[in-house]
Amino acid sequence: MMDNILSILIFLPLFTAVLLGLFRAELKYLKIGAMFSSVAILLLVTWTAYNFDPDAGMQFVKHAPWIQNSGMSYFVGLDYLSLLILLLISFLMPPLYIYMYHENRKGYWYNMMLLQTGVTGAILSLDLVLFYLFWEMMLLPIFIMIGKYGNGMHQYNAMKIILMTILGSMSMLFSIMYIGYIYFDTVGMWSFALTDLATLSFNAKTSIWLTAGFLLAFVIKIPLVGFHTWMAPAYGSSPTPAVVIMSAIMAKLGIYGIWRFGFDLFETTLVYYAPTIITLALIGLLYYAIRAITEDNLRKMFAYSSGSHLSLIALGLFLTNLYAWSGSLYFIATHAMASAGMFIMIGLTYKRFKTVQISALGGIASKAPKFTFFFSFFALCIAGLPGTGGFVAELLIIIGAFKANFWIGVLTATTMLSAMMYIFWMLQRTLFGKANNDTQYKDLSLREVIMLLPLAILLLATGIMPSLFTPIFEPQLTASLQEVLNIIGGLK
Amino acid sequence: MMTQILFALPMATIVIGALVLMLLSHSRKFTMQRLNILTVFFLLISLAVQLMIIGEHSSTFLFQDIFGDSFILDDFASIFDLMFTVGAILTLLINNDYFKSRRYFSGEYFALILFSVFGMMMLSHAHELVSAFIALEIASLSIYALVGYHKNNKVSSEAMMKYMVLGSMTGAFFILGTALIYGVVSSTSLTEISMYVANHELQELTLLIVGSSFIMVTIMFKIGAVPFHSWIVDVYHGAPYPITMFMASTFKIAIFAIALRLYLVNFAPINSFWSELLQIITVFTLIGGSWLAINQKLVKRMLAGSSIVHSGYLLIALSSLGLGSEVAAPAIMFYLIAYFLSAVGSFGILSFIASQSKKQMSYDDFKGFAQKRPYMAIMMSIFMLSLAGFPSTIGFLGKFYIFTSAIESGQLLLAGLGILTAFISVYYYFKLIAVMYFYSSDAAEKKFPLNISTIVIAIMALLVIWGGIGTSLIPFIPGADGFIDIAKQAIISII
Repeated sequence: MMDNILSILIFLPLFTAVLLGLFRAELKYLKIGAMFSSVAILLLVTWTAYNFDPDAGMQFVKHAPWIQNSGMSYFVGLDYLSLLILLLISFLMPPLYIYMYHENRKGYWYNMMLLQTGVTGAILSLDLVLFYLFWEMMLLPIFIMIGKYGNGMHQYNAMKIILMTILGSMSMLFSIMYIGYIYFDTVGMWSFALTDLATLSFNAKTSIWLTAGFLLAFVIKIPLVGFHTWMAPAYGSSPTPAVVIMSAIMAKLGIYGIWRFGFDLFETTLVYYAPTIITLALIGLLYYAIRAITEDNLRKMFAYSSGSHLSLIALGLFLTNLYAWSGSLYFIATHAMASAGMFIMIGLTYKRFKTVQISALGGIASKAPKFTFFFSFFALCIAGLPGTGGFVAELLIIIGAFKANFWIGVLTATTMLSAMMYIFWMLQRTLFGKANNDTQYKDLSLREVIMLLPLAILLLATGIMPSLFTPIFEPQLTASLQEVLNIIGGLK
Repeated sequence: MMTQILFALPMATIVIGALVLMLLSHSRKFTMQRLNILTVFFLLISLAVQLMIIGEHSSTFLFQDIFGDSFILDDFASIFDLMFTVGAILTLLINNDYFKSRRYFSGEYFALILFSVFGMMMLSHAHELVSAFIALEIASLSIYALVGYHKNNKVSSEAMMKYMVLGSMTGAFFILGTALIYGVVSSTSLTEISMYVANHELQELTLLIVGSSFIMVTIMFKIGAVPFHSWIVDVYHGAPYPITMFMASTFKIAIFAIALRLYLVNFAPINSFWSELLQIITVFTLIGGSWLAINQKLVKRMLAGSSIVHSGYLLIALSSLGLGSEVAAPAIMFYLIAYFLSAVGSFGILSFIASQSKKQMSYDDFKGFAQKRPYMAIMMSIFMLSLAGFPSTIGFLGKFYIFTSAIESGQLLLAGLGILTAFISVYYYFKLIAVMYFYSSDAAEKKFPLNISTIVIAIMALLVIWGGIGTSLIPFIPGADGFIDIAKQAIISII
């Protein structure tokens, strides 16, 4: 059980989907099956987290030969970083399935299950080729969901997102193959396991190119400014469950990739890239914030907001000090929950009013109090209101930025300000003011409250009592940061 | 003597089968269905004999007292023989429906298929240039005839004329090259030539290099490398589906069989001379093929264009081979299998649809296909993903081996270009997936038709997936990498 638990977590949704698909299950059973698999995974993940030892490194490791000739192996393991994202994805799936309760198109359900497998696999795999497999695999469901169930120019946007992200993955593939070859050249056999490759040392020029290959994939996924052209259209035209996963989880995988593979394989080269990334992230902070202020479409607005916050996380990661790193880690969690809640709220808005244009909304507050409460709660979480988890995380990153450099700190601090600006203005225009349409204002139903409540409670808990969660992650975080600092420091 | 006859039996069975089918084809008792089964039967016998003798012998010459060392029997040739036979069997089974739906097919068709398989088998065994030429022409002539099989169709006839005129002309280059080489070495046997090459300085070999470059022209033409590619899209389009499938997969494998043998045995020392030329051709092939494939409206023409790109990937490995990469030769063999599975599968689905309707099958005709035929759509997507080199399919592993071989031989730029064209290929392959899934249609869902064609296609789809993720974790079933071992064995057998 102990060493197969991760494999079960990865493949249970896929297995369920294939099984249901083979028997051409009716919609009812499909829904039950999906819900069952997600709840089962949630329970298993809770069990895993309970048994997780904060002081040990990689845990629940399973290392088995896969395609032996070329050294690819089935290598999965869990540490603080993957545990965090694993908790997030498994925690988000059941509410999403509740959200999709009335969804009658079968493809939707299948794609969501495949998506969960892809994401879970990507965060747990420690073999580069295996990682690449899941990294690509999670694109397919997104591609189909945007293209088939999206709105607006969804077919075009689906093609756009897949082409841009695959451009990134192809460059990553090149780096992966080259690393494998270098390992073969020095050791005499093929291997793509992270533990093996971490022992290699590259010469500077090679390392710069290899890192560039990886970074391109991750930077497109985040996306940092300049690589972001797919983001707003894709967020704007994807259906709600897809956009929740995209902003809450998949964007974080870009960060995860840098964190896991970047800092394990190329610590020293990342120092070389740090100024570029930090500059891009700073530009991104401001640029995305301005785009968010001027945006009239709620989905796109929060796409930009999400871009802005992810730039902040990337910034924190590249500052490499304890404040910034713990802030980034904390922000991954809180932003995932807040943006998931927000995009669900936007989805509910669309269900009620058939529009997500801010200019077409208004006057909701007086008619639908519960809706207003949750809407503004998640929005404020994104803005980083004190008392919510986002505040703690942003504060940590800002402190880290000030520690690194005064001016970076100043620029970073503007993010809180600009977020407040667009969030409050948006709230004022959507929730308050005069109603500009005659649609029925339905308040949240019990089912919808049940699906939102856990997210809200967790967000509050992370804000008020951070000490509840930090002990699980902190020891390993500190240790791995120390490791990175040792290597970088040795360089200086 | 008995063992010699046994060794020649696979080829003999095919020829006998071809002759028998020619005789039977005019009997009224034999419908297309029965002839098809009979053809497959002959192929299966040959296959059984091949499986019996494979691996049981070191390299021997076939009937050395009669043919000298014209024909060799080694693991390399045996494995290629297996591929041809299996390829022909799959082509025939998949197109079972198509034969029934088109009236212009007649008995000679099967005889011609068998003759071309015979030619390919001879080609893989050939150890002497003139026999290689004869084998190549036996295979080619049968295929010329097959391409123009639909006599009343202008496109088909045009395709045949185009292919035959150009093909015969480039065939002449082969003979010219052979003549030049004979002039230098005074022998056409590969053994003699390679000995001559080994014993002389590069400066003394000018005429031999010119001659072998001429031979290269023929090979490049047959695989559709770019300066010699102009026929490929039209011919693939004009030929009936079964033939397109047969050309794109099986015939291409045969050409690579002789190319690999020439490369590995004969001209090894002068490979370095060619490598630059080959790199230039590869660059053109990759870019030109992508350009052709992007611009097509018909799916069949897109697949034809993309087959040029796939030849380009194989050429990458071929030039890595010249530069001394160890994994290149097995990589080529693996890629041929990978491409074979995915191409035959996708052409198979096209031919299945064509057997139901008379559409031309542009991208637009696939709108709502996923709704009408969900299983077919899934299988088509699997084949497209494999052709695009998406991980978890066999196409990914194929590309992986090809590109690592390029990296190993230091051709980083070529590997990069290969990756770039693989990225471009995502566009035209995913376009088909997008068209199938993104649009809904009014037509009701049709039942999955269970017959030989569809079952074989389904098996191939499973093989494609298995080839990509097949793992040594599960006992008793060989993983995807099993084939690489076999390929390595085969390569060792000729060196």
